[in-house]
Amino acid sequence: MAAGTRLGKWMFFGVIGVIALWFVGALGMSWQQQYRDRVRPGRAFSEKVIGETLHPVMIRKPDAEPWVDSGKKDTKGQPIMVACATCHDTRTANLKTNDGALLKEFHQGLKYAHGSQTCLSCHNSGDYNNLKLADGQSLDFSESIRLCAQCHGPQYRDYQNGSHGGMNGHWDLKQGPRERNHCTDCHDPHHPAYPQVMPVFPPKPVIGEAVLPTHGKPSH
Amino acid sequence: MNPSISTARKSEVNHHDAKFHATSYLKFLRLAFRLATEGTWTFYVWMLVLTCVFLVGAHAWATQVAEGMVVTGMTDHVSWGLYIANFTFLVGLAAGGVMMVIPAYIYHDKDMHDTVIIGELLAIASIVMCLMFVVADLGRPDRFWHMLPFIGKFNWPISMLTWDVIVLNGYLLLNLHICGYMLYKRFLGETPDKRWYVPFVFLSIAWAISIHTVTAFLYCGLGGRPFWNTALMAPRFLTSAFVAGPAFIIVVLQLIRRMTRMNIGPGSIQTLVAIMRITILIDLLMLGSEVFVALYTGGAHSTAIKYLFFGHGELKALVPWTWVSLAFMLTAAVLLMRPKVHDHLRTLDIACMLAFVGIWIEKGMGLIIPGFVPSTLHEWVEYIPSAAEWKIMAGIWAAGLMVYTLLLKVAIPVFAGNVSGKTSGIGNQTK
Amino acid sequence: MENQPTNSGCGSGCGCHQEPVDRGGSTRRNLLKGAAVTLGAAAFAKALAPLATWSRDNLSVDDFLQQHYRELDKEQLAAVLKHLEEDTKKDYGADVTIGDHRPQKGVKFGYALNLSVCIGCRRCAEACHHENNHDRVTGNSYIRVLEMQKGSMDIEHGNAHYDHPVPHPDKFYMPVQCQQCENPPCVHVCPVEATWKEDDGIVVVDYNWCIGCRYCEAACPYHARRFNWTKPEIPKEEINPNQSYLSNRIRPQGVMEKCTFCLHRTREGKMPACLEACPTGARVFGNLLDPESEIRKVIDNKRVFVLKEELGTRPSFFYFFDE
Repeated sequence: MAAGTRLGKWMFFGVIGVIALWFVGALGMSWQQQYRDRVRPGRAFSEKVIGETLHPVMIRKPDAEPWVDSGKKDTKGQPIMVACATCHDTRTANLKTNDGALLKEFHQGLKYAHGSQTCLSCHNSGDYNNLKLADGQSLDFSESIRLCAQCHGPQYRDYQNGSHGGMNGHWDLKQGPRERNHCTDCHDPHHPAYPQVMPVFPPKPVIGEAVLPTHGKPSH
Repeated sequence: MNPSISTARKSEVNHHDAKFHATSYLKFLRLAFRLATEGTWTFYVWMLVLTCVFLVGAHAWATQVAEGMVVTGMTDHVSWGLYIANFTFLVGLAAGGVMMVIPAYIYHDKDMHDTVIIGELLAIASIVMCLMFVVADLGRPDRFWHMLPFIGKFNWPISMLTWDVIVLNGYLLLNLHICGYMLYKRFLGETPDKRWYVPFVFLSIAWAISIHTVTAFLYCGLGGRPFWNTALMAPRFLTSAFVAGPAFIIVVLQLIRRMTRMNIGPGSIQTLVAIMRITILIDLLMLGSEVFVALYTGGAHSTAIKYLFFGHGELKALVPWTWVSLAFMLTAAVLLMRPKVHDHLRTLDIACMLAFVGIWIEKGMGLIIPGFVPSTLHEWVEYIPSAAEWKIMAGIWAAGLMVYTLLLKVAIPVFAGNVSGKTSGIGNQTK
Repeated sequence: MENQPTNSGCGSGCGCHQEPVDRGGSTRRNLLKGAAVTLGAAAFAKALAPLATWSRDNLSVDDFLQQHYRELDKEQLAAVLKHLEEDTKKDYGADVTIGDHRPQKGVKFGYALNLSVCIGCRRCAEACHHENNHDRVTGNSYIRVLEMQKGSMDIEHGNAHYDHPVPHPDKFYMPVQCQQCENPPCVHVCPVEATWKEDDGIVVVDYNWCIGCRYCEAACPYHARRFNWTKPEIPKEEINPNQSYLSNRIRPQGVMEKCTFCLHRTREGKMPACLEACPTGARVFGNLLDPESEIRKVIDNKRVFVLKEELGTRPSFFYFFDE
C-alpha cells in the first residue's frame, strides 16, 4: 500500500533526522569548547602598569632586650620593669634550672614547656642582654629566629618558603610590600605550643539543619 | 513541505488558497472560543475553583519574587525543592502521552487512534506546567530573556539546561502543531493530509523520549551528587513516565466517557493497561537495583538512599513519603497484574491513581531532595516545603488542569465530529 | 462564565487570545462572560500586585536591559558602575567605590592550606563575611570550616558546628571554599553564561546577568556557591567600601554568589582577606605561573592533595600536611 510505504519512509527519515540532530549537537559542543578557549570576548587584561622593582618583605622584630616585671608599681601606677642584667650580672648561673617555679625571685609565674631545654640552653649566662646559640655564639634578642631555627629546621624552611608563620600585605612584591611574623609573635618561647582558643563566628543553622549537640565537647 | 509539489494527488487532497484559510481559521478559532467558554454548571464550578486556586498561587509567586525565595523552605544546602520536583514529574507526564501516539500511529490501533488527541493535549498541558514550574523556581524571572538565543546568552550546547529548554519548547510546538492541525482539519470536515502531520508525529515520538532523557541528564551529569550520578537515571525516568502518563490518561478517558458523548473504545484502555503492566514492573525492578547497589556496597553513595528509606538520626522528613510511594507502587502493580482488571474499572482507577501518586513522590520529593541531603560537604539539612511553595505548586497545577480542560473542551466535540464547519453553519466551500 | 482570561486560548493551541466577540450568541451570556473576564482580570492584577510594587522599587529600565558584563564597552561599564554606586547609596546609605578589576597578565592564582597548622578558629570565615559584604542576618561566608576526625579524610565525618576550644587533640580542621576548578562543573551547567572562568583562574559570576536557577549550586561538589535568598542586610557603617563588580559589591536579591579569591584585593597584588586573618599562617596564596612563588614552593615540596580529585574538577586549591 502506498500510504504504508510513505509512512515507513517518513519514519525512517524522522529517526535519521533526530540522530543527525543529536550528532550535530555533539559536534557543536566540542567545536564551541575549542572556540571558547581561543576567543574570549570582552576579556581585556588589566591595563595597570606594574614596575619591576620589588617591594621589601619586612619581618616584625621583637624588642632587642627583654625586661622582667618587678611586681612593684611606680607613682603613675605603671609596673616597674627591670632589665635582666640588674640582677643576673652579680649572680652565679645555675645550669640546671628549667622552670620558673624553681626560682626564689621573679619569673615565678613563668610557665615552661619546651622539651628538655634549660634556661641556659638559650639564655646567655655570660650576657643576659643577649641570647646564645648552640655553639656558644652570642645572639641579639631581635635575631632569635636563628636560635629557634637551630632545632626547628623544617619549620624554618617552611617559614622561608612562605608556608609557615603567615603574612600580611602583598602576594605580588612588584605591587607592594609584605610583612612577616616573627616566631615569637605566635609562639611563646617558654611554652611554644600554639594555645587552644575558642572558635569565633559559628555558622548560623538554617531551617531544617541538624546541629549536633557539641557544647563543650567534640562531636562524634 | 509545499503541498503543490504533489500535483498528482491533488484530487484526494483538499487544496485551498490562503484567503480561504484566513476566514475559516478565524471561524475555527471563534468556535473554539465558544466551545471553551460554554458548558454545564459543573464545568463553570470546576473552572471557578481552578481559577481561585490559580489566583492564590499567582499571589504567592508574586510575593516570592518581591520578597525573595526566602519564603520557600529551600536553603543553600537543599537548593531545589518542590518546584523542580514537580517539573521533573511533569516532564514525565508529557512524555507519557507518547504511549498513546505509538500504538495509534505506528500500529494503527483503531480505538487508540480515536482517542490519541487526549494524550497529545495532555503533553501540551504538562509542558505548560513544566515551564511555569521552571519560572517559579527562578530567583530572577525578570531576567528570563537572558536565556533567549541571540538576544541573551544561550549556553548551548554545554549546559544541559539549554538542551532541556530546546526539547521542552520543541515538544510543545510539535504537539501544538499536530493537535491544531488535526482539529482544524476535522473542523473543516476534511481528511488530514499525512504529509502535514505524520512526520511531526514520528518526530514527536523520538522527541518525547528525548525530553525525559535530557531531563534525566540534567541530574545524572552532576558528578558531585552521588545519588543522581547513576546511568540508570534516564531509563528510570522513562519507565516511570510510561507508568504515570498512561495512568493519568486511563482516568481521564473514563471521566470523558462518563461526562461527554465521545466514543471511547475499550481498546485504548486495554492497550494502556498492557503498557502499564510492563512499565510498572520495570520501574520497580530498577528501583530495586538502585537500592541493592547502594545498600549492599555501602559507603558515601548509599547515604542518601539510607536517608530516603530510614532517615538519619532525628531527620526523617522523607521517610513517610518514600514508604507511601513504595506501598502505592506495589499495590498498583498487584492491582494491575490481576487478569480480570478490565472487569472492575473502579479498581483499575484506584490502581492508576496509586501509581500516579507513587510516581509523583518518587520522581519528585524522592528524587530531587535526596540529591541534596546530605550536602556535598556532608552536612545534614532537611527540606520541608513552605506554605508559599505549596500554594504556588497548587496554582500551577490548577493552571495546567485549566489548560487541559479547555483544550479537551474544544477538542472532544471537534474530534468526535459533533461540531464542525458544516454543523456550525460555516460550511466547506470546496465541496 | 469565563473566569480565567489568560487561558482563553483558541484550544488549537495557536496561542491566540480571542476576545469575546461572539455576536451570534445571546447578549445576556456575552454580558456575563464579559463581567467574568473583567472580574478575573481584576483579581489577577490584584494577585500580582506585589510584583508590580517590587519592579517599581527595584527594577529600572536600565537594569532590565543591561547587557552581559563581557559585552559591555568601557563607557557602558563606567555607567553601570556609577549606577551601582548610586544604588548602594540609595539602598544602604553607604558611599562605596565599585571598581572593575581585570586579570593580570601572566598570573594564575593558586591557594594552599596547611592542615597541620590550621586550628579551626574560623577567623578566615569571619574575615570573609566582613570583607565580602555578606548578609548579616544569615551570617553568610564563602568558607565553611569542617572539624574532621583524625584517621579519616572522609568529609562524612566532618562537622561545621563545633563550639569547644580548638584545636581539639583528636581532630583536625579543614576549611572549604571555592576551589576555582580548572574544569568547573558550575560554569558548564549555567544556561546563560552568567558564570565563567577568568584568565587568572578565578570563577566569577555576573550578578546582573544571573537568572537564579541555582543549577550551579546543584553542580558544585564543594558547597562553594551561595544564593541570595533575599536582599542582603548590612548596617551602613559595616559595609566594606572597597568593592568590585565581579567580587564583593553587595549582591542583588535572587542571584548566585561565590568566593572570588577576593579579586578586588588579589588583582591589586594584595593577599585575600582570609589569608590575612589566619593567625597560624596555614594559608598560602600566590601565582602558580611564577616558579619562585610561595604557592609553587608548596606544590613542589609538599605532598599536596585536592578535594574530590576523582570528580575531575582539577581544583586550584590544594591541601597539605607538614608531617
